[in-house]
Order: sequence, then structure tokens, then C-alpha cells
Amino acid sequence: MADLTTDLGRIRLKNPVMTASGTFGYGMEYDSFFPIAELGAVVVKGIAPWQSHGNPTPRVAEVTSGMLNAIGLQGPGIDKFLDDEHYMPFLRKSGATVIVNIWGKKIEDYAEVAARLDAESEGIAALEINVSCPNVKEGGLAFGTDPAMMGKVVSAVRAATKLPLITKLSPNVTKIADFAKSAEACGSDMISLINTIPAMAIDIETFRPKIANVTGGLSGPAVKPVAVRMVYEASRAVKIPVIGMGGIMSGEDAIEFFLAGASAIAVGTAIFADPLAPLKVRDGINAWLDRKGIASVREIIGAVKIG
Amino acid sequence: MDFECRIKKNEALKSGYRRIVFDAPEIAAKAQGGQFVHVRITPLRDRILRRPFSISNADPAAGELTVVYKVVGLGTAELARMRAGESCRVLGPLGNAYTAPTEETFPILAAGGYGTAALYLTAKNAPRKGILLLGARTKDDLILVEDFQKLGFEVRIATNDGSAGHKGFVTELLDGALTGQDRSRCMVYGCGPTPMLLALGKLTQEKQLAAELSLDQHMCCGVGACFACVVKIKDASSPDGWQYSRSCKEGPVYNATEVYYG
Repeated sequence: MADLTTDLGRIRLKNPVMTASGTFGYGMEYDSFFPIAELGAVVVKGIAPWQSHGNPTPRVAEVTSGMLNAIGLQGPGIDKFLDDEHYMPFLRKSGATVIVNIWGKKIEDYAEVAARLDAESEGIAALEINVSCPNVKEGGLAFGTDPAMMGKVVSAVRAATKLPLITKLSPNVTKIADFAKSAEACGSDMISLINTIPAMAIDIETFRPKIANVTGGLSGPAVKPVAVRMVYEASRAVKIPVIGMGGIMSGEDAIEFFLAGASAIAVGTAIFADPLAPLKVRDGINAWLDRKGIASVREIIGAVKIG
Repeated sequence: MDFECRIKKNEALKSGYRRIVFDAPEIAAKAQGGQFVHVRITPLRDRILRRPFSISNADPAAGELTVVYKVVGLGTAELARMRAGESCRVLGPLGNAYTAPTEETFPILAAGGYGTAALYLTAKNAPRKGILLLGARTKDDLILVEDFQKLGFEVRIATNDGSAGHKGFVTELLDGALTGQDRSRCMVYGCGPTPMLLALGKLTQEKQLAAELSLDQHMCCGVGACFACVVKIKDASSPDGWQYSRSCKEGPVYNATEVYYG
């Protein structure tokens, strides 16, 4: 059994496998499959100051080796998230390491949610700032594709909370290193990437887009090589830890991300195919390390050999 | 909840409709009418999502779970090619169920197309046999008619093109089914395309009939995590008067009074 613990700044995770925001609900949905406290961390679906409907349906479409989604951040809002037994009260009882993903339409919205969570931070390990959702008209990607705008959001959240901060980066940019540096300079304790890639699929019988939002975010194995490249480039640009995600289906997939520079990884779309995918990825990482005779996952972070 | 299930039988019914029987004792023991299973179609290598199917029949004694499906896309085409002895991962039973009819209930089943499949288990377990109102585009899409007749249900048919039964919509058969019945004991169970179900829901509301509708949308996780398959239900506390409900979790069965028709 290899040592699977990994460090994300001030946080030590029991293993490097997290869930990608939006793919694991608020934790309770998978509680009947396995104890969610077994995960390195549970990252919940995005929380805004308000309750929101999200986008019209259909919201998902399958494509070769992946899927498109445009859920549009449907969510309970911060009040319900903190008070309703299905959300934070459940997560506190579960014993899981909890990371809360936050979003807003204006910079002040992000700061507001961060301040509320800071005031009731028991059981919350970190906040993940979503400046990269491709499926909402305001906020989201509008912040995440301009390093200066993104920096303003990160700085505002930084001023609102002492909790460790993760900035989730969009792949929809020319130079990812600039965004990683901006997040680091503005006080983010780590970065996570990639969010989904803006994409489109058309039904050739009806001539209509396959999802109501017209475009959606591509995820799944199709995006993995893009994600590995971006984790590689981002991790070389900053000193803060990097959380890698994008199409991870197996332990071997996860290993690529560690070698590229990730200190932890998140499983997302794979969960839809197999609810036990995060645990299988964890066990696969362990089996690979044992096979290689490597004592700790921390030994392979950024260990890709170039040249 | 997620089981590797051997296929016992995978047979053609008619015009692209098929019946598959899984050896699935754990699911068959729990399954109730209206629930569904989420199937990983094994040969689909570069397609990663599961496919949801209504549970058509469950035989706890034999450990058998039956799904009736139509070949409509890549997933169902691959499923159709699978043979007895091969297996799929089957997750379920998922979702809620129709309210089981009691000895007093006169069940009126209203199906559109292969919505019949999702009503079979409810019909089988109904103490009192009632009427199946079956609507389809054309007579080739009328399936399981004899199966419901064997259960003791009277089957009344409507087709859009008039190739069998009444020419028109299945909702037009409702008044006839109520003739001579104590309306307070009638319960309408609906399953079919969304426009048909919304029309049926409105009609049963007007007639003050108890009704439950099985609604869905393109589904992804099947367990309430991803919020893909949402449908609109009434919510007085929302400024818009409605909210989205996860059809895989809170549904797929909704009381007609809950559904938002606006």
C-alpha cells in the first residue's frame, strides 16, 4: 500500500482523488454507494447568493468519448445550502473533506458567498472559485478569460475569507500560464483545471443543436490530452499546488496528471458511467505506485521527463 | 445498487421494438411500477454514458428484470446485438414509483407509444383490472397489446393516422373510459411523450381525476447528482411559480397536480 496522502498548501488530503464540481451533486446523492468521507475531497456543485433554475432542457448530449453539458448552475443558493439538511448539515455529518464551489454574476456576489461560508466555515476545507463556467451568460467564463478580471474576483474573495482558495481555470484561453500566475498573485492558494471546453453538437435530422443552450461544455476522455497539457503548462508557471482534471476514467489516467504537475486530481464525467469511479481511480493509483515500487504519490508530482 | 447482469433473453417484438430479460435478482426483488434502470451497454466503447430504461416487468421469484426498448440510436442498436449470456452493468431500481392501485382503484392506464412498457408492472400488480388507453402514431407502434389483455385489462386504441382504433389522440379516449365508473375511484396512470402527458395532465385536472404522469428528459447520472433531466413542477415560493425537479430522483412519476403546465 503506497502513501496516497497529498498536500494542497495548508490542507493534507487522505488521498489525491477529489470529485469535479457539478458531477457529484452535494455529496448525498452518492452516499448510498460508498462513504463519501473515503474521498480525498468532495467538491460540491456551485453555490451562488441566490437560488437559480439553470438552463432549459435538454441540458446534456453524448458525443464520441465524452459529453456536452449546459446545466447552467442550477442550485439552492447560499441560504438553503447552509441551512437545509440535504446540503452543508449533511456534509458536516458525513466526515468528508468538503470544498465548496462558488460563483456569481458580479464580483461582489463571489465575495458575498465567500463571506457567508467564512462565517460558518466549520467542516469546510476550502472554497473553489468558479470563473470558468461556459454555460451562464453573466459571470462565469466572462471573468475567467481575462487575467485582470479574474484577478479582481480572486482578490475580492481573498479579502472575504481566510479559508484556503482554489481558482478553477478555463481552458478557453490562449495562454493558461498567465491565468495561473494571476490567480497566484491575487492570493489563490491553489488552482484547479480544466473546466469544460465550449463545444457544440447538432442533430442532423432536426437541424437543431442537441442542447437547448446551443453550446455546452465538453468533458470526458475526449478532453484529457488538452487537460494534461494545460496542467503541465500551468504547474510550471506557479509555485502553488495544482489540481488536475479532465476526462480521468482510471488510475492510469490520473497518473498522467501527477506526472504533468498535479498534486491532486478530480474525477467528474466518469462518475456518470460508474458511481464508484472515484474509488476505482484511487485504487488504480495505489496499484500503479505499488507496481512501480514508488512509496508515495507525492514523489511523482511533476516528474514528467522532458528532453 | 449497480449489478453485473447476465442477459437471459433479447428478442424482437415488432418494428424495431425489442424485449430484453436480465438475470437481476437484487433489482427484481425491489422494483416497483414506474421505476427505471440505468444500463451501461457493454459494447459501447467510445460512448461513456449509461442509458435509462423503464422497468417493464420484474419477477422476484425468477430473479428476472424485463425492459422493452426500441432501437433508436447507437446505444440501443448495440444493445439489440447483444446475446443471451452476455452481460451489462445495470443500476437500479432508480426513481420513484406510481402509487400502487388498491382493491378500490379502477386503474386507467394512458400510454403513448412504448409508454406501455413502463405501465406493465403497475397493471400486473393492480388488484382490480381496468382499461389501457393506448395511443401511437400508427399501428406498427402498438406494442404489448396482448400482454395487457392477458392481465385482464381492456385495451382501447387511438392512432394518429387512423390505421388502428380511433383516429386521433389517446386523450380523446378518456371520456369513454370513465363511462359507468365511479370517478372518485378512478386513477389515471400516464406514460408517453411529454406533450401527450402534459395534455393528459391538464385534462385530468379539468375532470378532477386523480392522475400520475411519468415525465423525463435527457438523463445523465440517473441518481440526482448532475441536474440534467429536470422537469418543471409548481412552486408557489418561486417568483416564476415553478422550479426544476430532477426526474431521476424526485420523479419520474409526478402527481398531475404537481406538474407545471405554463
